Amino acid sequence: MKRIFDAQLIGPFVAMVIVAVIVALTTERFLNPGNLSNLSLQVSIVALIAIGSTIVIFAAGIDLSSGSMVALLTMILAQLLKFVGIPLALALPLILLTGGLLGLLLGIITAYGRIPSFITTLAALIAFRGLALTFNNGSPIFSLDPMLEPVFYGKLVGIPLPFFYLIFFYTCAALMMNFTKLGREIYAVGGNPAAAKLTGINVRKVQTKTFVIAGFMTAVGAVLMSARLNSGSPNYGQTLELQAIAAAVVGGASLAGGRGNILATLMGAMTIVIVQNGLNLNAAPSSVQNIVLGLIILLAVGIDMWRAELSTMLSRLFNRSPSVQGNQ
Amino acid sequence: MPTSSPLWEFVDISKAYPGVLANDQVSIKLYGGSIHGLLGENGCGKSTMIKTLSGVQQPDGGKILNNSQETHITNPQDARAKGIATVFQEFSIVPTLSVGENIYLGNMPSTKFGLIDWKKIHADASAVLHEMEVDISTEAITGHLSVGEQQLVEIAKAIAIDAQMIILDEPTAALGEDEIETLHRLLRNMRNKGTAILYVSHRLDEVERIVDEVTILRGGKVVRASGETAIDVNQIVSAMVGEEIAEHYPKERNAKDTIVLEAHELTTSNGVTNASFDVREGEVLGLGGVLGSGRTEIARALFGVDPIISGEIRLEGKPIHIANEIDAIEKGLALVPENRKFDGLFFNFRASGNITAASLSSLSRLGVLNLGVEKQGAQRLIQELEISALAESKTVNFLSGGNQQKIVIARWLFSDAKVLIMDEPTQGIDIGAKLAVYKLINTLTKAGKSIILISSDHDELLAMSDRIAVIQHGTVVRLSSAENLTHNDLVRASAAKTNQQPLEVTA
Repeated sequence: MKRIFDAQLIGPFVAMVIVAVIVALTTERFLNPGNLSNLSLQVSIVALIAIGSTIVIFAAGIDLSSGSMVALLTMILAQLLKFVGIPLALALPLILLTGGLLGLLLGIITAYGRIPSFITTLAALIAFRGLALTFNNGSPIFSLDPMLEPVFYGKLVGIPLPFFYLIFFYTCAALMMNFTKLGREIYAVGGNPAAAKLTGINVRKVQTKTFVIAGFMTAVGAVLMSARLNSGSPNYGQTLELQAIAAAVVGGASLAGGRGNILATLMGAMTIVIVQNGLNLNAAPSSVQNIVLGLIILLAVGIDMWRAELSTMLSRLFNRSPSVQGNQ
Repeated sequence: MPTSSPLWEFVDISKAYPGVLANDQVSIKLYGGSIHGLLGENGCGKSTMIKTLSGVQQPDGGKILNNSQETHITNPQDARAKGIATVFQEFSIVPTLSVGENIYLGNMPSTKFGLIDWKKIHADASAVLHEMEVDISTEAITGHLSVGEQQLVEIAKAIAIDAQMIILDEPTAALGEDEIETLHRLLRNMRNKGTAILYVSHRLDEVERIVDEVTILRGGKVVRASGETAIDVNQIVSAMVGEEIAEHYPKERNAKDTIVLEAHELTTSNGVTNASFDVREGEVLGLGGVLGSGRTEIARALFGVDPIISGEIRLEGKPIHIANEIDAIEKGLALVPENRKFDGLFFNFRASGNITAASLSSLSRLGVLNLGVEKQGAQRLIQELEISALAESKTVNFLSGGNQQKIVIARWLFSDAKVLIMDEPTQGIDIGAKLAVYKLINTLTKAGKSIILISSDHDELLAMSDRIAVIQHGTVVRLSSAENLTHNDLVRASAAKTNQQPLEVTA
């Protein structure tokens, strides 16, 4: 347990609490039970996709493809349900499998084709959106299956199902990153790929696996997206990849790889969604929301980069000598 | 030889960092025309002193005199303006730029139109390199040069600003024997022209060859001022460590007769030709030869990094094929790489994660790691190898070079490798840590493990190896017991290389 809940969680947790307190104090309706339950619905899709984005980042890669992949997968799901006539119980696993396979493809191109993941997934970001448009003449497909909506809107003991998905997948991810060989290998590859190779870790295979995980988690997000609106659309998921990466970064994951705590990503996603929710409740236009999201990302990375200076400043403020060790 | 008054005099320089007094009233006099060695173990305050001397930081106390006039060195630019050039251990060249551009980086001459005067840059840079008697084109891309040549470009930068004093921090850490010779010749020339040179190095054998006087630091204080110690390795070592070291090289002979690994007429596409040698159980086989002789390439071939064109590797009598690094490790080989920072350590892990990194498969069942076994094993090795206690709670970037190197070696103790290839295992670590590595080599051989030792430090290679294979042009030219070889034999092998270099070029 100590392993999972380590010191890396403190910063993102404090940030999340501060943001929540500020929003709660300034916005009356924020603490309404209805709004809180709405929050978990709002955060669920981006937070689930962010699991994959974060794991890719841990291995020093980046995944820009998830937003477009969501659109593509919702269109494939819609096609399967509406036009091919496959039952929901079969279509859903098929979508998850497709997501994993698309991730595998991106992983192979990146790791074995030696094309930087930024480029591979940027290409996929563009191409997947185009591919999504080839279905149904580029039009959205509506009313897919009456049983689809409960996947998103269903409740268990009065709590929305997406809350449980978050608990389940984040628990799995945290266990994987901290207690399995693969998790350790991912951190090793992200920390120092050259050393990983010389210690007998199959660097390319590990990198590929992170993209498979990312593809799978994107598919989970796509299913929820379809269920939420009972439809598929080539326009779904715009900038979702950036929000997912923002969640990882606000959660303190180092884009250089090797460092970060997966649970911090959930807190990062919560922080972002709470801010958005606060702005929504105060009827702020979406332009303002985007500007604020940009500023949050800068601030989160800035605090991380300026950590040493900030701690010196703070200790001066409280008139104590800094505890930073000098290096000779 | 020293003139009557010092060019630069640093008097009672003190510098404190939070929690540590890094320099405690250190005084050094630097004379034009003299090479002054500044020596001491890691953490003795050498780096702090260099930072003060080069204007990177300000001292808390003390005086700085230039030609007997009190002065201050406010920042690195000011230091350069006052004629002090510093060649830091980490180069400050831009690898993608040409040699000429690097030499004049920061003070590029411009034409009257405000454009860069390329003609002047290359003409002046050529003049500097010519003066240094160095044959490097000013148009060459610096990153394409060998490490030794890059080092020379660094020094050319110092000469280009007409430095009267030049500080060299570990200038030979990455150089081969012949490159060190070139550097030393250059430094002697500069000395003869009246430059003051401050030379900082861990390699005491070469210090002995080049310096005129030494100042030795220990725990931030001067323990031997200039003139108080003879330029003699043994005396220097005991002053640095603070005690008589009875045995500089605590070699134990643990070699048995059983042949563990055998290379038979090994040939690769990148320079290894018909190399044959064998390593026995508990033996240290040294690979002698200069940088570029093919030592590293032989290690790479054994470890499955470069494909073998012809020849054969036999492990415990059986011919084996090593497809890649993973394959090599599975078969019981291990590589302690030359550059522990880039190729060895995971700076995002603590000691435990680093120690177990090569053993994750045996440490896990159905993909789940046994963290209890990991912790126990790592703790045991941290204690046995006397690694800093910090290693358990902090990531390895907080540890000294010696501790880091022990951790890299501990990885292969944990994984139970049969044959360890150690590439420059004591490079850049202090005497105390070197001793620890030597003892570790004894521990390994006593446990029956075989070691292939690559080292540019000839004394170390001769003392710690049971047998030595002298490598030249990618092949073994001589394989004999270390006792039958002398320092001279190894140096001569490097000289032979230098003579034959033109032949290689035309071939």
